[in-house]
Amino acid sequence: MTIAPRKLSLAEWDDRYDQLVRAGLKEPGYGGPLRRHVVKESDLRLQHLRFDNSAAALRLWNFLLTENERLHQARARGDKIVGTMKDLGTVPVMAYSLPGVRAFYPDGAWWTPCLMECSDHLLQQAEALGIDASFCPVRAMLPAFLNGEHFPRPDLLICSTGAVCDDFSAIAQRLETLGHSILWWEMPRRRQPDPREASCALPGNLLAPQVQVDWVREELQRVAQSLGELAGQPLDDNTLTDGIRKANEVRHLLQALRTTVYSAPGAPLPALEMLVAEMLAIHFCSDRAETVAVLGELLAEAEKRVQQKQFIIDVDAVRIFWVNPVADLRAMNLLEDWGGRVCGSDYMFTHALDLIPENLPPLEALARTALADPMVGSTAERAARIVRECRDFHVEAVVVSRIPGASHCAREGAIIREAVQKALGLPTIELEIPPVCDAMLPTLGSRVQALIETARARRKS
Amino acid sequence: MKVFYSSPWVPVEWIEAHGLQPCGVWFAEDLGCGVLPLSAGVCAFSEAVLRFAETHHDSAVIFTTACDQMRRSFDAFTGSQPVRAFLFNLPATWQSPVALRIFRTEVERLGRFLQVHGGHAPTAKDLAQIIERRSQSRKCLLELAPRCSARQYAEAIARFHWDGSVCVPDHPPSPSSRAIPLAIVGGPLTASQWGLLDLIEAAGTRIVLNATESGERSLLPPFRLEGFSDDPIGAVARGYFENCADVFQRPNTRLYSWLVERLIARGVRGIVLWVHTGCDLWRAEAQTLRETFRLPVLLLEADEVPGGSPREANRIQAFVETFK
Repeated sequence: MTIAPRKLSLAEWDDRYDQLVRAGLKEPGYGGPLRRHVVKESDLRLQHLRFDNSAAALRLWNFLLTENERLHQARARGDKIVGTMKDLGTVPVMAYSLPGVRAFYPDGAWWTPCLMECSDHLLQQAEALGIDASFCPVRAMLPAFLNGEHFPRPDLLICSTGAVCDDFSAIAQRLETLGHSILWWEMPRRRQPDPREASCALPGNLLAPQVQVDWVREELQRVAQSLGELAGQPLDDNTLTDGIRKANEVRHLLQALRTTVYSAPGAPLPALEMLVAEMLAIHFCSDRAETVAVLGELLAEAEKRVQQKQFIIDVDAVRIFWVNPVADLRAMNLLEDWGGRVCGSDYMFTHALDLIPENLPPLEALARTALADPMVGSTAERAARIVRECRDFHVEAVVVSRIPGASHCAREGAIIREAVQKALGLPTIELEIPPVCDAMLPTLGSRVQALIETARARRKS
Repeated sequence: MKVFYSSPWVPVEWIEAHGLQPCGVWFAEDLGCGVLPLSAGVCAFSEAVLRFAETHHDSAVIFTTACDQMRRSFDAFTGSQPVRAFLFNLPATWQSPVALRIFRTEVERLGRFLQVHGGHAPTAKDLAQIIERRSQSRKCLLELAPRCSARQYAEAIARFHWDGSVCVPDHPPSPSSRAIPLAIVGGPLTASQWGLLDLIEAAGTRIVLNATESGERSLLPPFRLEGFSDDPIGAVARGYFENCADVFQRPNTRLYSWLVERLIARGVRGIVLWVHTGCDLWRAEAQTLRETFRLPVLLLEADEVPGGSPREANRIQAFVETFK
């Protein structure tokens, strides 16, 4: 039975779930109705979100929302758990190359206050630990480590440092001071090669001095050594090569999904589900094989809808490029309610979407990919990629979404907006999205609507 | 040509050996004066350095990667004036060989930048002399601390960073034996903010340790010079790399080791934590400082009133009262 794409509330999903089950829905072990996450995990925010009505989206949400539970199960089975912080996409490729090792980002706890509508009190607990509201909501990670109510305590903690956000670096340091030992590895600030300096190409059309790649490779070798010791088997080139190939499987799927959705005349999948799907790239939501299955289903659903010209967001919606992830997932719903659709994104980990070169020694390939992180280079380089993607996906306006308290947000918005305006003449705005944005809806709404009206007016002219 | 630098971990001996004049921005009278048009989250010091750089057209400016804010100020600056700015990559880690190599490579790269801007290739002999002279100056400055008011001392160190000279104050104060010994710890304290030190001491205290970025912490111990003639750049790099103690380092234990030795030796009874608006790195240390040293910590945030606002004065007086 073909059902037209539609966004459903949680209540509507109860009926839809029954309908799917009656129609013979086959689910993985973590499957079930979405409502149980509200009842069991107090993920209250789900009551205010609207979800895609496909079985593929159901699987995506269940996959996302059971991550902590699956990590605890993995620990109980004897798997080693690695907490990797800040690099967003590199260390997990190494960790998942080893049998019996799972890596996750404690950074991901930054969405917990949103999902639980702050009923978890993590932000208040962070404040009691000395990290107040002047820091990014990723501060929720700190009490989550200490109270053990969310993710399991990792067997090994790894954090990239150097060219990273100050707030994150400060919070991670506070974590270590509180007794959680961290393996720090250096990420130099990526720069343009000097004249006559040996250089090499990075994924994402970037260039870096070879010496910087060498440093990162050496640092990753140190990380590999620790991971190997944890796993009880060395992370050798063959093992890592295989891990890279499997990580690229995920990246291939995501590239296809992004191209299908962002280039379609209307949106075959909503922005919220696309945000979650893209997030799977960084650590496979703690299960690499399942990530492939989840993304495969989403891609099939999107392709089917495009073929049938069935869109969840109308072709008239203004095509928006979205910069930075949102602290409140609801913002992605709201953008569509106000007449926009996401047709391009930079959620701070574009390097985790690019294919890792498979024609290089594996650590060299990973070092190049790590160094292509949009947050470790100049904002101008980040902006250049945004401009390219705006062109590719015929974007009509750009939203730079500020993360409250994040050190990079203080300046990058102005630089990105100027670059976009100069290159493409597109209207742009900056928004700040707190973990629960309900109180700011009038302001957010009027700002986004003004942007959308401006973009529509440009169509006429 | 003047080469302005914004972090004490930039090797000034290397700049001077190129025949250029290194000037630490903390002494500049036109740094951060007046109200800065800060947008949300922008660090006031990084903004001040950016504005300062924009107005000194005939000089080179060195930013560092010590913090995300300064790194991005460099981005903002190079958007308009890419040629005369240099971003020195200060590694955050210090326990791996890679970190030292990064530092050394940056010293070499800085040398090439300086030569593009009118500097000449340094000789080992000149460099050795400069290192020796600056080491002596730092030693003098360290000995000077007990004989100055906090403001005089801050000014003396900043002047040294500005032109390499050491000025002994004409009228050193006679500190009251009842003054409460305090430390000031934190980010950069600039010329327009020195009034704050007067304010703190006028409340009945004596600042016995200035551990701000531009204070005593910036006075490196003498470099190890073995093998200097074979590898002078290495000696410069090691001199800075091995002695840097700052909040951006990971782990930050060097900073705490540096502090604990001095806090105990000088009988410090309380800490004033000096934080620029928007500086996450120092703000996050408030609780760790309290827990580690078990001393009262007063967080003072740099605001738009140079040298201390009535609110700051009030907070300082209340803080000092708690010791009486």
